Parts: sequence; C-alpha cells; structure tokens
Amino acid sequence: MKKCVVIGIGNPYLQDDRAGVVVVEQLEQGGLACQTEVVYTVGFEVMDKVRGYERAIIVDACKLGNEPGSILDVSVDDIFTTHALVNSHAITLGTTLKTGYVCFPEEMPAEIRILLIEVKEIKEFTQQMSSEVERAVAEVVARIRGMVAAMT
Amino acid sequence: MKKIEINPITRLEGHGKIAIFLDDNGNVDDAFFQTVEFRGFEKFLQGMPMEEVPRTVSTVCGVCRGVHFTASMKASDGVFGVTPPPAGRKLRELFFNAHYVEDHSVILYALGFPDFVVGPEANPAERNVVGLINAVGAATGKEVLRRRSLAVKIFEMLGGKPNHPVAAIPGGWSKQLTEEERKQIEAWSEELVGLGELTLKVFDDVVLQNDTYMQLVTGDMYKVEVGYMGTVDDQDRITYYDGTQKVIDSQGAVVGTFKGKEYLDFISERVQPWTYLKFPYQKKLGAWKGIVEGPGTNIYSVGPLARMNVVKSMDTPKAQEHFEKFHATFGARPVHHILAYHWARAIELLNAAEKCLELSRDPEITSKETWNKPTSCPGEGVGIIEAPRGTLIHHYLTDGKGIVTDANLIVATTHNNAPINLAVKKAAKHFIKNGNVSQGMLNYVEMAFRPYDLCLACATHTVTGGQSPLEVEIFDSNGGLYKTLKNF
Repeated sequence: MKKCVVIGIGNPYLQDDRAGVVVVEQLEQGGLACQTEVVYTVGFEVMDKVRGYERAIIVDACKLGNEPGSILDVSVDDIFTTHALVNSHAITLGTTLKTGYVCFPEEMPAEIRILLIEVKEIKEFTQQMSSEVERAVAEVVARIRGMVAAMT
Repeated sequence: MKKIEINPITRLEGHGKIAIFLDDNGNVDDAFFQTVEFRGFEKFLQGMPMEEVPRTVSTVCGVCRGVHFTASMKASDGVFGVTPPPAGRKLRELFFNAHYVEDHSVILYALGFPDFVVGPEANPAERNVVGLINAVGAATGKEVLRRRSLAVKIFEMLGGKPNHPVAAIPGGWSKQLTEEERKQIEAWSEELVGLGELTLKVFDDVVLQNDTYMQLVTGDMYKVEVGYMGTVDDQDRITYYDGTQKVIDSQGAVVGTFKGKEYLDFISERVQPWTYLKFPYQKKLGAWKGIVEGPGTNIYSVGPLARMNVVKSMDTPKAQEHFEKFHATFGARPVHHILAYHWARAIELLNAAEKCLELSRDPEITSKETWNKPTSCPGEGVGIIEAPRGTLIHHYLTDGKGIVTDANLIVATTHNNAPINLAVKKAAKHFIKNGNVSQGMLNYVEMAFRPYDLCLACATHTVTGGQSPLEVEIFDSNGGLYKTLKNF
C-alpha cells in the first residue's frame, strides 16, 4: 500500500465549485510529500484513485446551507445516504466510497478524511471564486499540509 | 385536476422534473418532462480559441466528458481544414470506444439494472448500485468495477487525464502509443470483452429469463413509436466515432442520410415555453406536428435503441450474435420498446470492447504519425459522433484566427426530449388509475425515462444534504396540496 493521496474534486470553470481543484493546485505548487490527484466528478473514478493508499484526503465543494466558506471535516459514513442519487451521472461521493469498501475492502484506505468547503455561488461559468471560498481554500491548504506532515 | 410532481428526478444528470396532471377521476390527463436548468455553454464558448474548446467542453458534464471532447475535436479538424492521419484517427477511436465501455457499464449497473435486479417496486433506498451489489454479490460487483476501471485506464493513458482529456489537437492526437502501452491496452481490452459478455449474461439471467420483466420490456406501456437517427459506416454497420448519419421514420423507411453541416437540412428545433430543452424534429417529414407518435410523426429518438434500428449489422462478431438475438426477440423493425435501450446498451458495451481489442492489435496504432499540421483556417467545423446516449452534434464558426464566433450543440437528451415526454405520459397513463399513486407506480413512471439516461448537462457535483432526492407532490383540482410522497 502506498502512503497517502490528496484528491481535489471540482469543476474548474464553475465558480466556487472549483475549490477542491484549486486546493490541490496550491498544494502542488508548494510541494507536498504525498500523491495528489484532481478529478472533475464524484463517480467511480474517485474510488479508483483512493484504492491502494493507506490514507486519503478528499477536498470537495459542498452546498449544505452553512455560511459560505465554512469548512467541514467529515467521514465517509457522514456523507453516505442509502437513498442517494445513485446513477450514471449524479452518483454521490458517499456512495462511490461506500461501494469501494463493499467491493474492495482490502484495497481501500484505512482512513479517509473528507474536507468540504461550503460554496457561495456555483451557477456562473467563471474561474473566479468568491472571497469567502478563497479564504477557505487557503485554510484547507494549510490544514492539509499539517495533516500530511503528521502522517509522514 | 390533480397534479403530481416528481422533483427532482432521481438518477439523472442535472435538474429536471416530471409533472403529471390527473383529471377529476384520478386518471392521467397529461404529463410533461421539464428541464428547469439552463447552462448556456454555447454562449460561454464564444471568444475562445478553437483548439482550447475540446478541453473546455469536456467539463460540460463530469460523465459525458469524452463525448463533448471528441465531437468538438472533430469540429476543430474542419475549422482548421485538416484531417488526422490513420494512426491519429485510430487512437481517437480507441480512446472513444474505451469511453463507451466505461460509460455504458456505469449506466447499466447504476441506472438500468437496479430496476430489474432489485425490483421496480423495491424501496428506493435499496434500488441503487449498493442494493444491486448486495443482490448480485460483492464478488460480481468487484469484478464489474475492476474491469470497468481498466477502460478508464485506457481513457487516461490515451487522453492524458482520467476525467477530462487533453490529447486533442486539430488534425490529430498528441499522444503517441508505445509498443509497451499497446500490449497493456490489448490485455486490458481482452478483459473488457469479458465485461461485455458478463453484462449480457446478467441481462439474460435477470431480464430475458423473467416473464414478468419481459412483459414490461415487450409490452405497450413502454412502447413509443417514433423515428430514429444513428450513424452507419460505409457498409451500413454501427459506428460511433465517425460515419454517415442515417434517419428513418417510425415505420422504418429511410428518410435520408447526411454528413456534417447537412444536419441543418434534416433537423429543426422547436422551442416550448415550459422547458429550457428544445424539441428537435425531422424537417424532411414536414413542419412541427407536436409531441405525437405513430405513422406520420416527425419526432425521433437517438441512442442505443435507435442505433439498433438504423444499422444493418454490428461490426464485431460477438456483438453481432447478440444483435441478431435482439431483433429475433422483437420481430418487426424498428423496435419501439424503450426498455430495450438497456439491452441495446449491453450489446454496444460488448461491441465497443471488441473494437478496443481490434484497434489495440492494429499494427498502425503505434505509428508516430499521429498529427497532420494545420496550415489554414477555413473557420467552420461540424463534429458529429454517436455518444453513448445518442447522436451528438457540435457546430462551430470562427474568425480567421480560429476564435469561436458562434457555436451550436445538439446533445442526445435534446434529440430525445419529445420521445421522453411521450414515454412518461404513456407509462403514467398505464400505471396510475383512479388516483391510486403508490411509490412503486411512480418508479414505473421513472423507468420510462431512465432508458434514455438523461444528461441535462449539470457539471456540478457538490455534496448536498441529500434531503430531497425524490419528492412527489399531489395537488387537488383547485391547485391545493393534496398529498406529498418522499423516498427518504
């Protein structure tokens, strides 16, 4: 098993939805003792990316009704819902990861930390994030550096 | 009149809703599928360098990324007046067929099969991919997901990125394949053929051997008599990456064939005030006749079932066997039974896997000649492909420097808009009687649009609270809320 992977999820052209992508870009720019990946969807590709790692950190945008820029640190169980929008398009992150634990228990990470950043705007096609989310991205980058340092 | 709303629709891309109107006796008077979201990609692309468009439009959708990428890449060939050399074209085809395998397998296992394997009236909490794995066993689920991931590896190896590829260049393909990589893809492709065979066996065991399900598949409640459009090669066989578009009417007569910009002679789009999604129709068959089926209609469908109806045969041996069984089962052509979309999709999965294997064994695939350099910019390009969900058209106009000045995208779900409305109305009429609306019945209605695997082009995937995946509101004849049903 490889040590750890940080995965950023988001659409780089869709306002605050790009937060996870930007986090990984900034981590890569500063160097990180950990594998990094960017995916633009939460389909089974995410499961493929975490398989084979001892630990995984996933960063995604969320829209849960919190203050824009809020950061949530959750587990797979926290975001898994049995009635989820399970489909070829809108399969959820929770379902993807839970499916991985059902089918590939020996290959899935012992720990997955999921950092969610509450969005403000995700309706317009632009690469400009809101100031609230930009601040949250900086905070998440710092937090992940600390988490990775503690792992290695 | 009572009104039933299913909003948002479970298990499809983007935001839409179904509204079913009941008469005073509780029977279905009318039904509509509405798209309540507007993405506006055609406007967004204006001002963008054409060579950047494939990388950008691949983000239209996190799932359909390979199809918009491929269609716009082909259009960029036209914009710059250049065609790829044989190796460049074959790499594109290999990439695209791998995308077919991974996309079709997700559609079938996450969307289509749960209705049959777990059961159409099962609790929605179980009628999903986790419920499916629980039903078929983790070992089978693991094997399907493992083999599907090999298709994604091919997609990534050739495209440069796992989700949103970057290898497109006007006139070719930037990634050259080494012999070592070719051998790897060949080995993976052999496993993909196995995935196709396994998928057809699952369909056979679960659906074809089940009399109840076969009554659904071959019954009138899921039968929509419209015309069809798909793409054929020079031998009238199925093809996905490139070919000639063939249009037939609801009785199977060939309306005509076209290529490139000629699509404007065959397709018109009707706008309705109650939805953002347009209604394309066959203009060769006259002016807009409304959302009607049967002889004389000029609405049409695209996608796996449409392709089974317009082609003479498949272009690979294993898929051809299943193609023949498919048509022998239904008898008359064209096949109008929409649940057959799932069967057609499984056949295409096998076909695309066989194509991957065939292309990986082509000696020319490792040629270093993958790009013909553009030397001019005629400024107009049309890219038409058969996306997994159906014919996809990308049409671009640019200035002399290749900057996009106008764009037109017609996607599969748009082609299928009118048939989807017909299918939903028909199923609703069959299953909702005298105001009796159960959760299971509503899933039967949803089953009418799932075969089309709608993509409303919502690339957003943010984690939501997951509190309202399916909500049904029933209104009385005065418009007041009569009843609310939820699946959570």
